[in-house]
Amino acid sequence: MSLPVLDPALQAVLRASLALLFGLAAAHKLRAPRAFALVLAEYRLLPDAASLPLAVGLAATEIAVAVGLCAPALAPVAALAAALLLALYAGAVAINLARGRDAIDCGCGFGPRPLGAGLLLRNALLVGAALAAALPVSPRALGTVDALTIAAGTATAALVFAAADGLAARRARTA
Amino acid sequence: MQALLVSNALLWLAVLALGCVVLALVRQIGVLHARIAPVGALDTGAGPRAGSPAPELLVDDWSGRRLRIGGASEDGRATLLFFLSPRCPVCKELLPAVGALAQQERGWLRVVWASDGERAEHAALVRTHDLAARAFVLSTPLALAYRVGQLPFAVLVDAGGTVSAAGIVNTREHLESLLEAHARGVPNLQAWRASQAGDRVVGMTR
Repeated sequence: MSLPVLDPALQAVLRASLALLFGLAAAHKLRAPRAFALVLAEYRLLPDAASLPLAVGLAATEIAVAVGLCAPALAPVAALAAALLLALYAGAVAINLARGRDAIDCGCGFGPRPLGAGLLLRNALLVGAALAAALPVSPRALGTVDALTIAAGTATAALVFAAADGLAARRARTA
Repeated sequence: MQALLVSNALLWLAVLALGCVVLALVRQIGVLHARIAPVGALDTGAGPRAGSPAPELLVDDWSGRRLRIGGASEDGRATLLFFLSPRCPVCKELLPAVGALAQQERGWLRVVWASDGERAEHAALVRTHDLAARAFVLSTPLALAYRVGQLPFAVLVDAGGTVSAAGIVNTREHLESLLEAHARGVPNLQAWRASQAGDRVVGMTR
């Protein structure tokens, strides 16, 4: 079975959007690594002592993914790594939802937010985007119009994600 | 081709502008949430009921001073119990606000910080937030008596020893709304909404 191919402009939008997401996520974690380590500890999946190294490790991995997505040679691998990382986060959320520990902070945005099914949906969509970003592209030379498509498309993706995520987080907090 | 390019560029501009507007609206909803609900924290059903007598306990604070919680207060001040845990990031974010509140309202309000668990676990927290000098209590019986489920949780006990308000406090606004509830005599958000609905019904029949 051969993989479907993607238009190069669409692929560039996907990769740039994911790189932006991972870059911002890593920056947010690195600004307060100790606070993020506390959030990780509350997931109760690993010993407490592992939280801080894990927090820094995750942030470093996210940076590597963000940088990798921008390098054409590394991008397919980085996109798969992004999908894996997002699936891992979703798994951690799912385990704690199953345990009934849904009141803990997810550590997944720019403010406190409890766990919920909405997060699993969000991560599933992001995993889909990351997998799509790893697909091969159809041969087509990119022109000036594509530069506009890529820049505006990425900015729109960021705006829509921020708005949708903000709404979902608000709903989760006030539910 | 030229026409398509222009139309495409224009459409992108419109999409981006709309994206910005949507994001601004989402943020505005947050601002409204903070402003609309002036009374009472979120009552989860757990914890002491507003209007009921607060459980009475004698506990020792971090520095070994004996404190009486509940019952008619000796100095005529109300008591705010703030339940926290060193493992609750939201609690830590709120600590400076609680400290400021304790300072501002000290004329009528005594603030008691309460947690439970190992003393060693709390050492760093006590150091960073200067809790040793304050009424910081480590007591499991206290948390059990007030049936604290989710954190950060706060209970406001009036000078007579009656619970005026209780609920989860995730933000500074929630915390202040407890004091507001005390001042207005409305125990929680649900009661406030019910009383507002009642007003409307009266208004219609008049």
